[in-house]
Amino acid sequence: MSLSGGRSGGIHAGERRFALALTMPGIIVLLLTTTFPLLYLIWSSFQNINLAMPYMDGFTGVDNYIEMWGDARFWHAIKLTGIYTISSVTLQILIGLGLALLVMQIPAGQWVFRIVAILPIVLAPVVVGLFWRTLMLSPNFGLIDYVVQSLGFEQVNWLGAPTPALISVIVIHTWQWTPFAFLVLLASLASLPLDVYEAARIDRANALQRFWHITLPLLRPAIVIVVIIRAMISLAAFAAIFAATGGGPGTASEILNLYAFKTSFIELNFGYGSALAVSLLVITMVVSGILFYLRTARRKAAAV
Amino acid sequence: MNTHQRARLTRNVILMAVAGALLFVWVLPLIWAFVVSLKSEREVLAFPPSVFFEPEFGNYVDALFGDFSIVDSLLTSTILATATTVITIALAVPAAYAFARLRLPGKRSLGFYTLATQMVPPVGLVIPYFLILNRFGWLDTYHGMVIVYLTFSLPFAIWLMVAYMEDIPWEMEEAAFLDKASRLQTLWHIVIPQVRGGIAVTVIFIFLNAWNEFLFAVQLGGNTVRPVTVAMYNFVSVEQTLWAKLSAAALVAMLPVVIIGIAAQKQIVKGLTVGAVKGGGRR
Repeated sequence: MSLSGGRSGGIHAGERRFALALTMPGIIVLLLTTTFPLLYLIWSSFQNINLAMPYMDGFTGVDNYIEMWGDARFWHAIKLTGIYTISSVTLQILIGLGLALLVMQIPAGQWVFRIVAILPIVLAPVVVGLFWRTLMLSPNFGLIDYVVQSLGFEQVNWLGAPTPALISVIVIHTWQWTPFAFLVLLASLASLPLDVYEAARIDRANALQRFWHITLPLLRPAIVIVVIIRAMISLAAFAAIFAATGGGPGTASEILNLYAFKTSFIELNFGYGSALAVSLLVITMVVSGILFYLRTARRKAAAV
Repeated sequence: MNTHQRARLTRNVILMAVAGALLFVWVLPLIWAFVVSLKSEREVLAFPPSVFFEPEFGNYVDALFGDFSIVDSLLTSTILATATTVITIALAVPAAYAFARLRLPGKRSLGFYTLATQMVPPVGLVIPYFLILNRFGWLDTYHGMVIVYLTFSLPFAIWLMVAYMEDIPWEMEEAAFLDKASRLQTLWHIVIPQVRGGIAVTVIFIFLNAWNEFLFAVQLGGNTVRPVTVAMYNFVSVEQTLWAKLSAAALVAMLPVVIIGIAAQKQIVKGLTVGAVKGGGRR
């Protein structure tokens, strides 16, 4: 979005006042509903707030952060957050792009794919997590368990064993959100200029060359945006994992988000939970900063 | 039919087959949920899973009127999502107009601030909100919950609306200004009718997100405010094995968003792309 809009001409004091009057209600609500709780979160991360032991409450300075630094479960959660985010975003882009390219080629019935792709997107993540936990992955009764066994493989306890549980929550997230990448990339593909392809065809470029040298560069802005949006969402993913594994077994699928939640609401240690949430906030800001920086840097490089 | 045509036909048939197979695999969890919702609980536990059986609709009757009725939760979700949508639109549309069209002091920093609030991970809000709402006695109340829902709906709505506002032509506003129509009248009579489509898309996104919200609802809601997402979760944690009833109830709970999704499929994709091109978009 360009923020440099506005009319040319003289200075309009009345317009400025009017613009402020239109914006301020929204901004004030945002300050009260978002910024104030965030400041409260940062404040409570320097406190001991434990609803199970209220007599210990009080200001503790950076104790929570020192504890975090030496907390193996925290570093484990960071590692899982990285694995979860990178693998699910990569899978979404690869599968979504592949599907979009495939569907662009079919002569009829593209609308069926568009309709079906909307379905996972509009479902509540908690319902998706529950469906997968029960109908798909449950041992002995789940559909996937049945398929795996009928293909002659050994039974896998998808949500009950550490590595399969992590793979499962990544697959669930990928299942739900690949359609997002698919739909955005399909729309971008459909809007690409055809004359470039004609020129390439005349130059006798083969399909792979056309994809690599024409389609991919033209799609890059859309891909980058999908990566940014999906990475932010992956970092904040909660409901589907919570419903499918609850972060378990043990801490096998406990990304940082779930660790902060469980520390606060199950162990009732709000001070330490706040510090964990602040660390997630910082990670989110750093990752989005890097992604946005790469995006503008590339754009500038392209403009030169 | 010459060889060239035949080759193309073969290629198309293969492409359609591959695409169709992928489509089937992708949609299988949903088809299966529907199949299971028509089974009896005894049938659900058959192994291998049965595909041919006497379908029954008792689970749906139970989901609506029986011991596991989710009607109250549906009502709660409707109230929450509607209130959130109305308040968000009332705040976001004027703000977006100022961002997109007017000389607004501090436009860049305010715009960046709005974008930044959109990045906050929900778990960073649910912890302080639990403590804050608890202090006010606002846990498990509708107004408390709507306040919390504004945190994700408002920044998103402002950014999406800015994208739509930027796309409308200037001429009619100019004419209205020359006519000495007041600025508020211009916004109401000239601008808003032109962005009706954008408002509709924004409404759809806010409603879907509010309807599907779970993290805030499970922790800040309770017996009074228990939307369908929490009702579904409680269903499985309490009644581990009643999958047929779960499937039926979940499909009923998701019916509104599925209907909206299919009916507004084009607009949603456009909203995703507008958000994608202009920088917003979040779920």
